[in-house]
Amino acid sequence: MGATSTAPAPRTRRGSARGGETAAGWLFTLPAILIIGVFLVAPIALALWVSFTDWNGRNSPLFNDNVEVVGLDNYAAITTDDSLTRELFGRSIRNNVYYVLFVVPLQTALALFLAVQVNRRLLRGKGFFRTAFYFPSVTSSIAITGVFLFLFASTGVVNRVLALMSVEGPNWFADPRGIIHLLLPQPPASWLEPGFLGVSAWEWIAGPSIAQCVLILLAVFTTSGTFMLLFLAGLQNIGPEIREAALMDGAGPIRSFFSITVPMLKPTLFTVLTLGLIGTWQVFDQVYLTRGTPAASTLTSPAYLAFQQAFTDNEPGIAAAIAFVLFLIIIAMTLIQRWVLADRDEPRNRRRERRRLAEGAARLQVGPTAGAGGGLT
Amino acid sequence: MKERVTGGLITGYVVLVVLALLYIYPFVIAVSGSFKTDQEANADPMALIPETFTFAAYERLFTGTDLPLWATNSFVVTIVVTVFRVFFDSLAGYALSRLRFRGRNTVFALFIAVLAVPSVVLMIPRFLVIKELGLYDTYGGMIIPLLADAAGIFIMKQFFDSIPASIEEAARIDGAGVFRTFWSVTLPMAAPALITLTILSFQGSWNEFAHFVISRQSPDLHTLTTGVGTLVSGQLGSGTQFPLKLAAAVLMTIPVAIMFFVFQKRIMSTTEGGEKG
Amino acid sequence: MKHSKMSAAALAGVLALALASCSGGGGTGATDEPEGSAESLTMLIGSSGDAETQAVQAAADAWTEESGVPVEVVVASNLNQELAQGFAGDSAPDLFYMGWDQFQTYASDDYLEPYAMDLENAGDFYPALVDAFSFEDEFVCAPKDFSTLGLVINTDLWAAAGLTDADIPTDWESLQSAAQRLTSGETVGLSMGPEYQRLGVFMQQAGGGLMDGDTVTANSPENVEALEYVQGLLEAGVLKWPADLGAGWGGEAFGRGSAAMVIEGPWIRGALENDYPDVQFQVAELPSGPDGPGTFTFSNCWGIPEGQDTAETAQDLVAFLTSDEQQLQFSEAFGVIPSTESAAATYAETYPENAAFVTGADYAISPVAFAGASEVVTEFNTKITTLQSADAQALLDELQSQLESAYEASQG
Repeated sequence: MGATSTAPAPRTRRGSARGGETAAGWLFTLPAILIIGVFLVAPIALALWVSFTDWNGRNSPLFNDNVEVVGLDNYAAITTDDSLTRELFGRSIRNNVYYVLFVVPLQTALALFLAVQVNRRLLRGKGFFRTAFYFPSVTSSIAITGVFLFLFASTGVVNRVLALMSVEGPNWFADPRGIIHLLLPQPPASWLEPGFLGVSAWEWIAGPSIAQCVLILLAVFTTSGTFMLLFLAGLQNIGPEIREAALMDGAGPIRSFFSITVPMLKPTLFTVLTLGLIGTWQVFDQVYLTRGTPAASTLTSPAYLAFQQAFTDNEPGIAAAIAFVLFLIIIAMTLIQRWVLADRDEPRNRRRERRRLAEGAARLQVGPTAGAGGGLT
Repeated sequence: MKERVTGGLITGYVVLVVLALLYIYPFVIAVSGSFKTDQEANADPMALIPETFTFAAYERLFTGTDLPLWATNSFVVTIVVTVFRVFFDSLAGYALSRLRFRGRNTVFALFIAVLAVPSVVLMIPRFLVIKELGLYDTYGGMIIPLLADAAGIFIMKQFFDSIPASIEEAARIDGAGVFRTFWSVTLPMAAPALITLTILSFQGSWNEFAHFVISRQSPDLHTLTTGVGTLVSGQLGSGTQFPLKLAAAVLMTIPVAIMFFVFQKRIMSTTEGGEKG
Repeated sequence: MKHSKMSAAALAGVLALALASCSGGGGTGATDEPEGSAESLTMLIGSSGDAETQAVQAAADAWTEESGVPVEVVVASNLNQELAQGFAGDSAPDLFYMGWDQFQTYASDDYLEPYAMDLENAGDFYPALVDAFSFEDEFVCAPKDFSTLGLVINTDLWAAAGLTDADIPTDWESLQSAAQRLTSGETVGLSMGPEYQRLGVFMQQAGGGLMDGDTVTANSPENVEALEYVQGLLEAGVLKWPADLGAGWGGEAFGRGSAAMVIEGPWIRGALENDYPDVQFQVAELPSGPDGPGTFTFSNCWGIPEGQDTAETAQDLVAFLTSDEQQLQFSEAFGVIPSTESAAATYAETYPENAAFVTGADYAISPVAFAGASEVVTEFNTKITTLQSADAQALLDELQSQLESAYEASQG
């Protein structure tokens, strides 16, 4: 399994066929290049332009006398201006940071746990368990969000179950209180002054709101299956012999898990974390669908805010600026993570990593956390 | 030692069964909730078997909403996107794997770079381009941008790389052209990857939401995701209507569920195209 | 020959692209204008419920019969957003509900066709409504109807709590005590949406308000008093937001019997008759506060996008829809009060049970609505959800500064 069988293109037909192959090569790739160029590359250029203008969304942003270049004004509006827009942006970053901080570790840990359990040699009904855990990953975010709204309604299923255990559940989707706030006493007044991005220090440490917790659970529920599959692929590479050898050496299952399995899964772990980071920074569908709920302001993400600025507030310039800032955040996150988990990156590993990313991304893209993993559509 | 392993296995079973129930329960409760009356869904959401079994929610979906139209649009978009995406991705994947042409590396690098661009970031920019091209609020705007994707091209390229070049030799010697060699010799060998890609494309475009939010607005162009989305996020003052929302969720899940159960083995095979392919 | 096959394949691909783009066409809106002869209109409405949707549809059908122009009525799930997206995509609906809260923003962006002064019945509308839908002294769009807020009381629960007509709240104190007595078990005394569009009435009753002429007065002592009164109701457990009762809006909480009183407008009648026909209720004027009575008036106008080919046809439809006869049909269906004085007079006679809403019109004011205000108000509304544990003064101070900068911006 180790050696990637990269079959070289037939080198035999250099001479005459070469010209033909050039034409064919371009023709074969032309549709893809056109589509990706027009709908992926061109938009970036156009949006970059719009982010420097005061275009109001009417008519075309190009060759339009009413459109003026305003330099960095749109970027200033979300970073340095003392405005409501900046505060909305700051809050969306806050919300998203907590979303990432909770979803990524939880989904990774759960997926790894499930993969290890399901991978046991003696386990019967493997197929059933895999199906059960993976199925949520193929359904649509709309359907799942609808079901979760039902489950977490104020007198819904979850609260009834909690009531059976004599716990009074919160009114999930209507509860904007941050879970870290709940644990803390009222802060000194200085904490309430507008701080970074117009959001007070007290608001920054709020933690995810109770409503946000539902979205976090939803994300974990719908992605753990996909990542379980990626981990399973990695586990199968390790093979049972190695683990059995470890057991022979007297290492307990837990120790062998941490000293053998986890290190060997490091490449997969890397993929899962990358995809997780990229995906969670792009949360949109669920935020869009819950925009009418009372705690909606604790659920916003930069992706959603960009949408809102473009379509509700008629500020395409600010929307484009938010999109670029988000882009930078995602790139920075991936680089930091790559640096932390740095491996001596052999070219061969690079290739395999790329493949895992593409695979995982393609899988994630079909599921309820669509958007995860790259500009795939 | 053996003891411990068995003990672990039993604990493992218990944990797995509990978890599996947790994963399945939301779907079961959604199905049963969709057959309840509004009142019962609120008063007794837990019951797995409705006290008064009713199709009211489904009836309302078919008479009171445009669900059939949404479903038609979803099928049209999904099928067109899937067919062309699989075709274009294989064409490009094949060229990148097999054909030697000047600029190949550049093209490949472009696709890899595109893989790294987060799609949600592109939502607003893509809307701008779709609008500029006059494709806004048309099937064209909904479909064309989805017709090729870098990840799919990559998967196909990887698979073609694993097929020995020698099988093409015979065909070439017979004088078959590049396209014929691709179409009738190499492509059939790539059936496993094609099936994988078909499934992924089908599910991906069936479940696509954000793109259809920004590429259309006319209610005639609602797909199931955007149409049901309006139900889920609730029309003004129409109340909670859980059975209706659940019924919609159930209906829109059926096609992907069928796809999933039919191709379960392939979808969940973790080695094929993954580590080995 | 090799080439020809390859090109054929590539050509097929390109062709497919072309085909796909041609087969488009939303079927509505600006995209199929070239067809010319078969003109049709798209109407985007934000409906209070099935009753309103059906009534508007029926009216549109009636007009189609007269004019031969088909009208597609589209119910928005989020009117503001769908409207904005329509304008952003250059395919705005031909006719739409333009809310009082967004009107100034749209008018100042030149999105609206100013047509209302050309209507035959332009002089018949309530002057206050004409003001609300004028921009730079130009009467832009015709008011559709208007509504005020009242206190809606579940009469069965009222009687069950041992209350009589004499107990109908007239001031803040009696509102609190009535709510107290109505609160029991699963039922809370009072409910309303957690938004400025409801709580603002208490500000007016206390003698406050967000604006006084050109001055922003959001953090005035009167407004603090109003919010603190509402806080008191929340703390006493006699007021709960609809979401805390598992309902999507006040009317649903009321219909289910989770709330014995709600502050809502006349639209609640249609919704209740449709969804909860068994609920018995009556409507009273809102109680007075320290400074007297207060309620809000809300209105939509019929917006027509600026410079659209269909504008004239749409204008005909508006003339039809704002005729006294048609407005009274809307009233019958979902309770709104007609926007013309003559029709409103007929309305008051025909529906004595809605008299309280009409009386309210005497002292009702419009919520603040300058361009850009709605974003600030939306932000304020998100804070109201947690009013119970909040500091009213701090909340209003924040609102004050946001509203001030928004107002400055709107004045250019």
